[in-house]
Amino acid sequence: MRKYFRELSVTGALTLLLLALAIFAPSFYSPQPLLSLAANASVSLVVACGMALVIIAREIDISVGSMFAVCSVCAGLLAAMHWPLAAVIAATILIGAIFGGFNGGLVAGLGLPSIVVTLATMVTWREGLQWLRQGQFVNLPDGVQWFGLSQKSGQWTLVIGALVILVLMALMMKHLSAGRYIYAVGSDAEVARLAGIPPKLTVFLVFVGIGALVGLAAIMNMVQSPQVDPQSGTGMELKVIAAVVVGGVAISGGRGNLWGVFVGLLLLVCVGPALIHLHIEAYWEKAIQGVIILLAVVAEGLRR
Amino acid sequence: MKQLFSSLLLAAAVAFFSGCNKNNEAPSSGASTAGNSKPGKKLTIALLPKSKGNAYFISCQKGAQKAASELGDELIFDGPTDTDPAKQNEIVENWITLGVDAIAAACENKEGISTALRKAQSKGIKVITYDADSLPDARTFFVNQATPQGIGYALMDQAAQLCASNANFAIITASLTAANQQEWQKYIEEDRAKNYPNMKMVAVKPCDDLKDKAQSETTALLSTYPNLKLIMAICSPGVPGAAEAVKQAGKAGQVKVIGLGLPNENKMYVHEGVTQAVILWNTMDLGYLTVYAADAVARGNLKPGDTSFKAGSLGTFEIKGDNILLGKPFVFTKENIDQFDF
Amino acid sequence: MNTHKPAWKNVLLAHETILLVVLIAEWIFFDAIGRNFGTYDNTCDILRHSCEIGLLALAMTPVILTGGIDLSVGSLLGLCAILFGKFWRDAHMPIPEAAACTLAVGALAGGVNASLITLLNLPPLIVTLGTFSLFRGLAEAITHGVDTFTDFPSSFLFLGQERWLGIPAQAPVFIGALIFFWWLVHFSTFGRSYRAIGFAPEGTRYAGIPVGRRVAMTYVLAGIVSAIAAIIYTARLGQAKADAGNGYELYAITAVVLGGTSIFGGIGSVYGTLLGVAAIAVLQSGIVHALQPSEMAGMLTGALLILALTASVLPKMISRLRQRKSALRLAKQNT
Repeated sequence: MRKYFRELSVTGALTLLLLALAIFAPSFYSPQPLLSLAANASVSLVVACGMALVIIAREIDISVGSMFAVCSVCAGLLAAMHWPLAAVIAATILIGAIFGGFNGGLVAGLGLPSIVVTLATMVTWREGLQWLRQGQFVNLPDGVQWFGLSQKSGQWTLVIGALVILVLMALMMKHLSAGRYIYAVGSDAEVARLAGIPPKLTVFLVFVGIGALVGLAAIMNMVQSPQVDPQSGTGMELKVIAAVVVGGVAISGGRGNLWGVFVGLLLLVCVGPALIHLHIEAYWEKAIQGVIILLAVVAEGLRR
Repeated sequence: MKQLFSSLLLAAAVAFFSGCNKNNEAPSSGASTAGNSKPGKKLTIALLPKSKGNAYFISCQKGAQKAASELGDELIFDGPTDTDPAKQNEIVENWITLGVDAIAAACENKEGISTALRKAQSKGIKVITYDADSLPDARTFFVNQATPQGIGYALMDQAAQLCASNANFAIITASLTAANQQEWQKYIEEDRAKNYPNMKMVAVKPCDDLKDKAQSETTALLSTYPNLKLIMAICSPGVPGAAEAVKQAGKAGQVKVIGLGLPNENKMYVHEGVTQAVILWNTMDLGYLTVYAADAVARGNLKPGDTSFKAGSLGTFEIKGDNILLGKPFVFTKENIDQFDF
Repeated sequence: MNTHKPAWKNVLLAHETILLVVLIAEWIFFDAIGRNFGTYDNTCDILRHSCEIGLLALAMTPVILTGGIDLSVGSLLGLCAILFGKFWRDAHMPIPEAAACTLAVGALAGGVNASLITLLNLPPLIVTLGTFSLFRGLAEAITHGVDTFTDFPSSFLFLGQERWLGIPAQAPVFIGALIFFWWLVHFSTFGRSYRAIGFAPEGTRYAGIPVGRRVAMTYVLAGIVSAIAAIIYTARLGQAKADAGNGYELYAITAVVLGGTSIFGGIGSVYGTLLGVAAIAVLQSGIVHALQPSEMAGMLTGALLILALTASVLPKMISRLRQRKSALRLAKQNT
């Protein structure tokens, strides 16, 4: 019980919020809007899973928003060139992995601090994309939206797909040696190395992993509308890091699990629509998010 | 010791370089001679959008570029790439030291940008505004695509045409602080209170010029207010975002969507009947007219007090006070939207 | 192995010296290809545009030296700017009084960061991530997102827009802050302890230094400096809005790291920060004067940052490679 204090407390917070909505704004629970909200959130969930691994490994990646925008535009352009959808998906994941590998190479290979490396790549990719696309939307051909399925099937595919990825990654972290390596490197890289774990390779692969997941998330976002906005992904790094931290992953590395991240993301994703349903003005959103983050980190401090 | 040495070196370097270039001001297109007409000389006109990553301003730029090549002028197009409100001022101030002849600005912060524009005017640079005005004393003319009143009334009148007289509607705006949108909202409210008092505006939500956010905000609005009959999106990325949300909620046709948006981004929704009307003006013409006006003001051919102005192939435009009017807002519907490509 | 390098080599290969060379090269380059870049007017403008970020970067230096970070300075600038406007317009305070109250708010906000980080021992990255959202959110909530403050008296606007004795009016403020932080980090007893804290916080504590108090002070100082920057920003723009200072924290961190301060703490200098701020400011102005799109400035800043980081680790890697080579040679000889 004590071990999972953080995850349980954030679950409690989410339950309170959902209860408040049930009492004061039952309109929140209409099925179609909830499904749309869930499909939307599944994009962030996939990236959050990757970010959890990065933070557990004692690194950070603030370039995910820019990587997401670049992958989205690439995916859109490939789809507009009438590539088969499977090829577009594979290519975008590969592009994401390459961008992630660039970050990983600098961090693991040269030993540069991840916050600064990803700060630099965040600015560079975002401005570079801006320069190339100049804000133009990419119009997608027919058959791309919802993978060519109906809207409901498409949305359920996205939600279930994200949950499958969550479960697979959680199982990997718990049962496979890859998961143990990440926890070990995040706790103490030197001890891990002495125990025979390759810290540099682990960190590199974690960055490649989040890059690939960002590519996948870009696809998941692309199929939800017939156009790609090159500004999509703005603010994603903040949202995802907040979700990971609120969900109990320690920024000092080596601690946390994906279930907490799942609940943390749900909590933060529900704040925006909750404000609308509870007739609270939109300008309170940032303040409330800030308070949630602070409460979560104070809870973390008290736990220790 | 090492630091002292290096900092002295730095100070010396700066002093040397700035000193030796003090007399190097304004080599080619000089800007310091106030108000002299420069017929036949190549002018440098600087066009400032609200932000660079906005397809609306890119289409303005296209028209502007055409005008600049017709006139034989040089066009500089640059703007903020992030959300820092001070960026517009910094770019304008850089243009002042660069030595442009005229600046045409679309103002994100009315009062803030006026500071920089007044400074430009004091250095002899001609200043006009387009799309979004600054304070009147900071510029000579405002190239207005349509008066804010015209835009606000057009939106409200369209809404009233599409809905019952007691319908509820919601507005999606860019950001809560955007001056243009605030003014349009004022006139929407004025028209509503005067002519359609039984219609009710239930919410205003910002989308920060992000299509995805407009979509998620609209989804939440649709389920929060089940009596919502119309969404009015007054920023261009908001229109397709709101339309997609209405479509995904299965309410296409029941909840109308109108807004200020670009034809290309909305064609599919208009044809599917999700979006009923898109109101805008020809943004390329706006850019074209702006550059012609900037050129004329810089050359002294257009002065305060003129009542009409001829802009190249577009013809003659009316000047009301210090507003050069492009015309009335244009309503794109299913019937005519395919004729336009921007 | 002889590891003693001659003193002049130390100076020449130091990170800051290389950055100085880059800065001078930038200047020469943009002066050559830019239009009216190297003029006195433009130099003054560069100073004026970089004043607020320069102040934030100066305040960020001791924070990062102690191994911490403060992501909330940009949002705090926004909050202080609108509060300054509110004190002046709605509470009808005269400008100096409003300014003093704003500084107090800045100190208080810095104190919030400081107490969470030092008293509860929470990670600075996340605490300041939370206050980054919270401060901006409070600014938006107080103004309802729409309110702006304008029409300040021209005697106040003088601070941001005019020149005093030939130099921009805000320059004395910046120079004052520069001297203060230079003294603080390099000459005071506090400053020496910052590096120690950055290297080894536990060891420093055992050495009897009140680590908590020293670190707390860096965050409070950052808060006060954010408030000063907010006032100058308002004077420069002539307007205070809730989104003031958006993104400034990342610029400040970039300048500090570019200047050679290690993000892990322990290594760094105020001089390097000054060079970092200058390098970025010159780049931004130069790009506009060279008639290049502004996105170039962002991309080049990112590239410059990575190059600077790589350059700082290159000597270590080269010496490690050399050591490995000579060890292998020795092993071969002995077989």
